[in-house]
Amino acid sequence: MSLYRIENLAKRYRSGEVETLALRGVDLTIEEGEFTAVAGPSGSGKSTLLHLMGALDAPSAGEVYLNGTRIDKLGKRAAARMRLENLGFVFQAYNLIPVLTALENAAFVLELRGVGRREREARARQALDDLDMAGYADRRPNQLSGGQQQRVAVARALAAEPKIILADEPTANLDSETGHALIELMRHLNREHGVTFVFSTHDPRLLDSVDRIVRLEDGRVAGEETRVSA
Amino acid sequence: MPVAVIFLAWRNLWRQRRRSLTSLGAVAFVVCLSLLYYSIGGAAVNSMYRNLTEGAGQIQLHVADYREVRDVSAGLLRNAAAITEEVRAQAAGASVVGVLDVPGLLIHGERSRAVAVSGRDWPAPLSAAYLRTNPIEGSFVRAGDPTGIVLGRGLARALGAGIGDEVVLYAPGSEGFGAGSFTVIGLVDVLDPVAAARTALLSLAAAQAVAADDAVSRIEVHYPEIRRMQDDVASTETATRLRAALPALSVETWRELSPTLVRILDSLRPVMAIVSVIFFVLAGLLVVNSIYLGMVERIHEFGVLMSLGASGRRVMGLITLESVLLCGAGAALGLAIGLPLVGLMGRGFTIPGLEQYYASFNMDPVFYASIHPSEVLFAVLFALGTGVLAALWPASIASRLEPVEAMRFTA
Ligand SMILES: Nc1ncnc2c1ncn2[C@@H]1O[C@H](COP(=O)(O)OP(=O)(O)OP(=O)(O)O)[C@@H](O)[C@H]1O
Ligand SMILES: [Mg+2]
Repeated sequence: MSLYRIENLAKRYRSGEVETLALRGVDLTIEEGEFTAVAGPSGSGKSTLLHLMGALDAPSAGEVYLNGTRIDKLGKRAAARMRLENLGFVFQAYNLIPVLTALENAAFVLELRGVGRREREARARQALDDLDMAGYADRRPNQLSGGQQQRVAVARALAAEPKIILADEPTANLDSETGHALIELMRHLNREHGVTFVFSTHDPRLLDSVDRIVRLEDGRVAGEETRVSA
Repeated sequence: MPVAVIFLAWRNLWRQRRRSLTSLGAVAFVVCLSLLYYSIGGAAVNSMYRNLTEGAGQIQLHVADYREVRDVSAGLLRNAAAITEEVRAQAAGASVVGVLDVPGLLIHGERSRAVAVSGRDWPAPLSAAYLRTNPIEGSFVRAGDPTGIVLGRGLARALGAGIGDEVVLYAPGSEGFGAGSFTVIGLVDVLDPVAAARTALLSLAAAQAVAADDAVSRIEVHYPEIRRMQDDVASTETATRLRAALPALSVETWRELSPTLVRILDSLRPVMAIVSVIFFVLAGLLVVNSIYLGMVERIHEFGVLMSLGASGRRVMGLITLESVLLCGAGAALGLAIGLPLVGLMGRGFTIPGLEQYYASFNMDPVFYASIHPSEVLFAVLFALGTGVLAALWPASIASRLEPVEAMRFTA
């Protein structure tokens, strides 16, 4: 069974008189252990797709299955719970809690889950270590560079050991070198620990090491590339 | 409540420390103000309580239905000594005083005045309290003294009598000698001129010799060391015992003797509680403002939290916790400042300006602040309740945020 199965997914936004079809029938499956990039120009629907995969928003049509369970029609509470138990998220920027240290941020999802202090700190430390951020455990987000902040955000997702980490343009606010390093780290986690990633980007230069690229254009899957190795 | 969440709430408050401290200060101010307000109100209540009880005692015993009795001698309690002993036995620790009022004519030379001479023996604490507000020239009534009389200065002036002069008390229709000759031993300054023109004090024995042997008009039970109304549990208990022991007599507590004033007294504290709720509402508006702004500034952050899997209820809890922490800290500060102040004022304080006014009514101008533990609890609960209520609106908005929209906000 695929980890994700997305069928004929559509999303229509309406703001006043203007209607936008952000997604127009997307079919997609994600297998466990994959490292997938959703690539496409600005406005192609990448964020919309990732939001719907995370049940952060409701589709206008179509279905989303996670491990065979339909998740696109969950209520708000159930959706939050589903995310907490299964998903990790990394966003474009500013997605750490500013008053918490890197370690506390990395431990936050575990705390939401009610994991005890000792265990969540150990796991958060390990996750920071996996992202080469062990030396910054006690820093607040505003004492970290953008790239470091994103690594802490990945560590936060990683520490909770989710089924999949969804990252919406995690590199958009980083210079290309830092962005590239972040993707390489994610790739490393994918290979070494088997963490499943889906990330979106509009920067083609970040796609070298990706084994699966889904190209979105105008709300449709315009093409898929699969590489055997990088 | 996990400790980590409390830390998070604290740090969020600290993030806008000036705003938070302003609200915290407002809550502290209101808590402190409420404590002072309650305690000064309590002081006024106590002052009224003492004015009601200091002169007349906490309990009075009369013949049954004494208010209806017109005939003087039918209104007298017979076997006064024995009854007084019985009352003393039931009212341990109290000062028990038999009083015999003798209506009659006081004569000095050519002049005479109608008076109600009061015959009683004064236990030390009662005479001390009396003389504190009514300064005396000469000496005061001594128990058992058969000839000494103390006059109000106004009465002495009307009679043209001074210390050492002889006066004659004529009490027609009484059961004793009906008359007696007394020596003026002291003059008291009674500030109220009407009372001053009527005050004439004898020992109980002297009054009984003139009017009625072994009889009193009433027996008063005094607890002179009780200064605060809230400390007065003795009067009701003693009155109950006295009613059982002396079923033929009328036994009334000060509450029953002055029902109208007591009703005012009893309504004072509830009224004060309502007024202090208004203080808290005002402070609460500042807290609402602070918590609401804090919420709006963090909409993006709440979006992130919800995306990570925090439920709306969780977000609501976090905001409410911040608000309650803020108000709780304010309450703690308010108590830290207010309680010592109240303690200090509990030792007695005077209000400049009111001092003269009170003295002119023969009232003790010293106030004793007092606060009931339940009022301290009220203040704290009001503060915490303010915290919960102030968070309600911002927290419910935050809990209904859509994560995607929230994350688009400001970022
Ligand atoms: N809340 C919304 N209301 C109206 N239109 C929206 C909304 N969100 C997205 N859209 C529209 O939907 C389309 C897809 O947007 P989406 O954010 O998914 O694109 P994207 O590929 O993530 O773009 P970018 O690379 O700029 O982030 C765009 O045309 C956008 O204007
Ligand atoms: Mg986007």
